[in-house]
Amino acid sequence: MKSFASLVKPYVVWMSLFIVIPMLLILLYAITDRGNSVLTFHFTLNNFLRFFDPVFIKVLWKSLEIAIITTIVCIIIGYPIAYVISNVSERLQGLLILSVTIPMWINMLVRTYAWISILSDGGIINSILAAVGLGPIKMMYTDFAVILGMVYNFLPFMILQIYTVLAKMDRALINASFDLGANRYQTFKRIVFPLSLPGVISGITLVFLPAVSTFVIPKFLGGGQYMLIGNLIENQFITVGEWNFGSAISLIMAMIIMGSMMLTKQVDKDASAQASNDGGKLW
Amino acid sequence: MKRISVLFLIVGLALAGCKQNTEQTLKVFNWGVYVDEDLIEEFEAEYGVTVIYDTFDSNESMYTKLMSGEVYDILYPSDYMVERLIQEKALQPLDKAVLTNLGSLMPSVLNQSFDPDNTYSAPYFWGNVGLLYDVEKVDEADLAKGWEILRDPQYKGQIYFYDSERDAFMIALKALGYSANTKDSAQLEKAYEWLKELNQTMDAVYVTDDVIDNMIAGNKAIAVVYSGDAAYILQENPSMRYFAPEEGTNIWVDSMVIPENAQNPKLANAWINFMLSADAAERNTVEVGYTTVRQDVYDAMLEGDYADNNAYAVRTDNVRDEVFVYDEDMKKIISDLWFKVKAE
Amino acid sequence: MVGSKRNLAWTIILITLVLMFFYLPIMSMIVFSFNSSRSLTSWSGFSLEWYKALFENREMMSAITTTISIALLSTLVSTVVGTFTAIGISKSKRLIKEIILNVNNFPILNPEIVTAIGLMLLYTTFKIEKGYMTMLIAHIIFSTPYVILTVLPKLRRLDPDLAEAALDLGCTPLQALLKVIVPLIMPGVISGALIAFTMSFDDFVISYFVSGNGVKNISILVYTMSKRINPTINALSTILVVIITIILLSVNLYDILKKKDLKEKE
Repeated sequence: MKSFASLVKPYVVWMSLFIVIPMLLILLYAITDRGNSVLTFHFTLNNFLRFFDPVFIKVLWKSLEIAIITTIVCIIIGYPIAYVISNVSERLQGLLILSVTIPMWINMLVRTYAWISILSDGGIINSILAAVGLGPIKMMYTDFAVILGMVYNFLPFMILQIYTVLAKMDRALINASFDLGANRYQTFKRIVFPLSLPGVISGITLVFLPAVSTFVIPKFLGGGQYMLIGNLIENQFITVGEWNFGSAISLIMAMIIMGSMMLTKQVDKDASAQASNDGGKLW
Repeated sequence: MKRISVLFLIVGLALAGCKQNTEQTLKVFNWGVYVDEDLIEEFEAEYGVTVIYDTFDSNESMYTKLMSGEVYDILYPSDYMVERLIQEKALQPLDKAVLTNLGSLMPSVLNQSFDPDNTYSAPYFWGNVGLLYDVEKVDEADLAKGWEILRDPQYKGQIYFYDSERDAFMIALKALGYSANTKDSAQLEKAYEWLKELNQTMDAVYVTDDVIDNMIAGNKAIAVVYSGDAAYILQENPSMRYFAPEEGTNIWVDSMVIPENAQNPKLANAWINFMLSADAAERNTVEVGYTTVRQDVYDAMLEGDYADNNAYAVRTDNVRDEVFVYDEDMKKIISDLWFKVKAE
Repeated sequence: MVGSKRNLAWTIILITLVLMFFYLPIMSMIVFSFNSSRSLTSWSGFSLEWYKALFENREMMSAITTTISIALLSTLVSTVVGTFTAIGISKSKRLIKEIILNVNNFPILNPEIVTAIGLMLLYTTFKIEKGYMTMLIAHIIFSTPYVILTVLPKLRRLDPDLAEAALDLGCTPLQALLKVIVPLIMPGVISGALIAFTMSFDDFVISYFVSGNGVKNISILVYTMSKRINPTINALSTILVVIITIILLSVNLYDILKKKDLKEKE
């Protein structure tokens, strides 16, 4: 070994083979046509053009819509929870965070599958309602079920990210704020919240990305007709066999996601800059 | 360090690409819940081999798996898929000398248009497509509407529709009085409108295998089902009934075939004959509920377990009943239109 | 701040609601795994038949062993490779560092389904037979970037001259690596290994697209079995929940109690 830097060489070879080449293959399939064999070199932009049919745009739109709603719900529920947890005694904090984490470790399919028996027409919730005399509510195969499933799966990520930032926050800042006469609301609005934004941004990244691209949750809880972009891609690859079109859709989706990630990174930078400015104002 | 890692890579890839010991293995690709699993173990014991048993849930996903390079010894495609595979020269002829049990099959399932003489395919289960309904929720008079009952507003929110492009278009075309195998794009367009209207007004839920447990639990009033699933459901839920509309429906036959590139054709032929034996056929039909292809087992079932089960006895006397024909262009059109139906 | 009674009430309500939300499906899953009928919604009596069925189901047992073995192997490989690569990255020139880290980010930033189909296309186009090895390779690919990202920050905090000092004092490079650097970053390595294990154990999307030859992991099996009501899935899930809870509780309680001891000693 000449230097420690050469330790990266095996991984570089590995990466090029198993990360770079697959990406290039997706690109290749996206810009070629299907011939008798699976991969051809008839270049075409048809696959991308095909996507601009209103039907597919609608699918994309719906996926973004559902993902955004899920993310917002996760923030609305997750932030108060993280805040509340960060304010209890330290031992209790550990226990609570643990109880939030345990569901994360359970297989996602299993967790989503569990909701089917709760939400179905003869399921637990409707049985309870029936016992009280209320009519059955249709919950399965609706937007509600899908969003519920997504929130259920991704909320722990949001809570953990926000909690981490809140827990590490310097208590001295908060105490100083009280000393200087601010009430709890003001302290929260001008000190705690801005400083917690990086956690919120991380949380958004960890929720939005999988929410936009998942296909299992819509499939289990949304039914056969519920098509989000993840389902569309899976459908093209596994059922329809149109790999070229499927690759084009994947590229489009990947680019949209990269775009939103860069946007959030920018917001994160601005937010941090703002937070440190405000923090500076304290002194 | 570098040399070791490259070596590791090569070994890893070699192992990944290396073929299995083919002497001892039979790879089977079948529909889910389509066999009595004990039979697999018995076959393994009798022939001293290992069976790798994989499942699929639609002909299309089976085909795509083949497209992705998976190699199998036995497949269970439906009629039109058998036709497609034959056209694409993807199958090898069966060894009739080994398949002694073919002689015991019902004449009505043999010599179908998609494989006259059964050169490439041996039938396994067959049936038709029809409507399953709950007598306590459905007015018998409405049944006269045939397939149109699926668009009857009083059953809004009470319909399970099958998530299959083929069957969906078959129903629409039959309801409109056309052939399920039509190549007329105007007719297909009308069928598309028929389905679109159903989707937009009836609040239907699109299902596949999940229809079985859902209808046993009586969750909805009407469902589009395969006769085999109906036969099973009828055994489990006494308030369910089955009927195939007079306008005609699809008769399907699922067959066992051997791919051209099968690695163990000898064992594959043995498997087919094994599955067509009276004992295996009986156990399969009892376990799965689908209609058997053996004459003797069929007669026994109609006198025994499935005596009052009108989903088990598949009608063969309605001239408007059709078997699907494979046509590549029509398939593409139907695929696209079906997606549009569901998405709008 | 945590003074007033009203605050306490809110805290308790919120936390209880959230815990109920998280654990309702899990509880329901566990309860119905002991149901004597096949229903997941109506209780008809206590029975262990689904647990029996689970252990008799060949496919399930095979899926469980596959999941565990792939998780262990991929964790091992990705942790070792990831750690060494991270060390190499920390000592590399700026440009190389940038390039490697950017490519390394692809499996993390990309939606799982994109990584999955990329690999599927790779295996299909180069006619590599899909099976155990392809799944293992795929798991190593998506785990290693996380190991690298977990270990790197720990490396940044290390004194850059430590390795040099070790070499000066007569260590071979390998010794410097294993006896000086690695022990100091061990917490990061262990975190990385845990993340790699969880990701592999839980994985569905990538495994679904790259497996073949009848090789299945638990997630794939649950996916294919989900169309029919199958309380054996409940039985399997219950066992998983119990094991995970025991592991997490013991690891964390140990930590929490340790803190308590330290505090008492002060």
